[in-house]
Amino acid sequence: MGEFIQLVVDGLAMGSVYAALGLAIVLVNQSTGLINFAQGGMAVLSAYLTYAFAGMGLPLILAIVASVIVSFALGALIERFVMRRFEGGDPDTAVVATVGMLTLITGVCGWIWSYNNLHLASLFPAASFGLLGAAVSWRSLGTFLVILVIMLGLQALFRYTKLGLALRAVADNPASSALSGLPVGRLLMVGWGLAAGLGAVAGALVAPRLTLTPGMMDTVLVYALAAVILGGMMSPLGVVVAAWAIGVLENLAAVYVPWIGHDLKIAVPFVLLFIVLLLRPQGLFGRKTVVRV
Amino acid sequence: MSQTSFSPDLTAAVTTVPFQRRTPWWVWAIGAAVVLLLVVAPLVMDIPTNQMLARVGVFAVAVLGLNVIMGYTGQVSLGQIFFLGFGAYVTAYGVQQEWPILLTFVLAIVLPGVAGLIVAFAAARLGGLAIAMVTIALPIIGVPLAKRLSDLTGGSQGISARFSDAPEWSGLADDQWQYYLVLLIAAITFVLVYNLTRGKFGRALAIVRENENVAKAMGISPYRYKVMAFTIAAMIGGVSGFLYMVVVQYTSPETLAFHHSINLLASMVVGGAGSIAGSILGGFYYVFVPNLTNEIAPTLTALIQGIILLVVLFVLPGGLASIPHRIRRMLRSRRADTDSSPSHSK
Repeated sequence: MGEFIQLVVDGLAMGSVYAALGLAIVLVNQSTGLINFAQGGMAVLSAYLTYAFAGMGLPLILAIVASVIVSFALGALIERFVMRRFEGGDPDTAVVATVGMLTLITGVCGWIWSYNNLHLASLFPAASFGLLGAAVSWRSLGTFLVILVIMLGLQALFRYTKLGLALRAVADNPASSALSGLPVGRLLMVGWGLAAGLGAVAGALVAPRLTLTPGMMDTVLVYALAAVILGGMMSPLGVVVAAWAIGVLENLAAVYVPWIGHDLKIAVPFVLLFIVLLLRPQGLFGRKTVVRV
Repeated sequence: MSQTSFSPDLTAAVTTVPFQRRTPWWVWAIGAAVVLLLVVAPLVMDIPTNQMLARVGVFAVAVLGLNVIMGYTGQVSLGQIFFLGFGAYVTAYGVQQEWPILLTFVLAIVLPGVAGLIVAFAAARLGGLAIAMVTIALPIIGVPLAKRLSDLTGGSQGISARFSDAPEWSGLADDQWQYYLVLLIAAITFVLVYNLTRGKFGRALAIVRENENVAKAMGISPYRYKVMAFTIAAMIGGVSGFLYMVVVQYTSPETLAFHHSINLLASMVVGGAGSIAGSILGGFYYVFVPNLTNEIAPTLTALIQGIILLVVLFVLPGGLASIPHRIRRMLRSRRADTDSSPSHSK
């Protein structure tokens, strides 16, 4: 029982990281209709920025905040100067462009900080505490709570603020939003900036666990994409729930299904995905969309 | 940017079929010269050059497979390298078990095809970019899977298979024999794909790519055609895997690593999406550019390749294969300018 609880809490923590990256992907997808395959790479760059700021002597928490701010600016600039060119055109070209961004950013990280593993300190102590006979680490619980708070914050932003309303309007119908006087371009930049900031948090939380390398987020990105599809593309809540489910299930499968083990647990979300897609193509929480010609 | 500018040649071919111009004699002459050159080349070149050219053939086929699903059908796939790796493993295993080589070849095509069919059944159900999101998992799951199934794959050590040494009667050196084998199989694959994309099937793919709703209205099921195109792409991936074993004679989990898949995608875009010539250029890009960037600075490889890919997307979205088309259009518009200006002055 103790092991079970521990696995569930650890799974929720990893699931929260997938959820953060998944939310970033949904944020971009909602505003531009794109899937940003560079989201993971951008998060790695942010984690390296955190590492660099911490290296300058900033306390870790400030380093993370600074990295989130810089990442926000970088995300906005990438939207303005790279992705703007491809928006509204062929979606395939735009996706290939994000893949190009992924290669480029990975290359930049490898060039500046080398391809060797670096160690980023964790925001939370490595110690653990007892809960119903299980040893639960502060790190896992902390990761889970931070993402939970951010998620609620985002929800509030979209629900209750004017900025959130404008962002939703642009996502829904850019042309009408422009006609009613919204600065569509600037709002798209904000959307990409928010996504990059979210990625920065995810990067800082996951880097201590995985150790910092330029390819650190490749696997996390794959999990996040699985969560996005399972959650139904459009629904932030669905993505988070799917990400948690993936995190917990893969942990349980790794330990309790001997053939899967820790090396093959990445197959778990995709087997799940496979079954869901065949039975319910719109995702667990998605709605069927009707396309008008 | 308009939808067609990504691959202008494709739509041009589709819309101008009834008005096909006669191919000028010099196109045939150049074609014959190129074929002659390809056949004679290995007899006069040194061994490293032959091996390099054979590798170009291997990856030209791999890029061609990616082109079938991405260039012609418009579905981004990030997992093409998985099918190459699968084909290579099947070949290596078949050779180790001493199956007849023809049977091994067929299995190296059929098994990846079946895998592709199964993946496409699920992935193509979601519209839009879902295929890209699902296929990215193939290499990422494939690597640990190949390590795990060590009885079949040799685990992280990999597996080697020598079956492509030149037979006595041919009087060729090993590298020449391998080159000709690759040239023959690659040429057949290219001709098959060329015919496939020019016919009814190719036109159906083009309309699925341009507008799925129009396709539906014409009685073409986008789902069915996407699944078929993906399966064919996977089978061609299997062919390239077999050819990979012909040339490299060794495969390991590293063969199907994620970054190779990205390189394949970059090669396809740089060569030219939806273009036969683009696939060949893509093969050259895949083999030569990493070598070149490695020579400049190994740590800069990914950086330079990312920049190249983005620059190509910005300035030449149709890839290298669209340069002749671009030049022709530029000349035509200039001619139109000079023709029209006197009439204006009248």
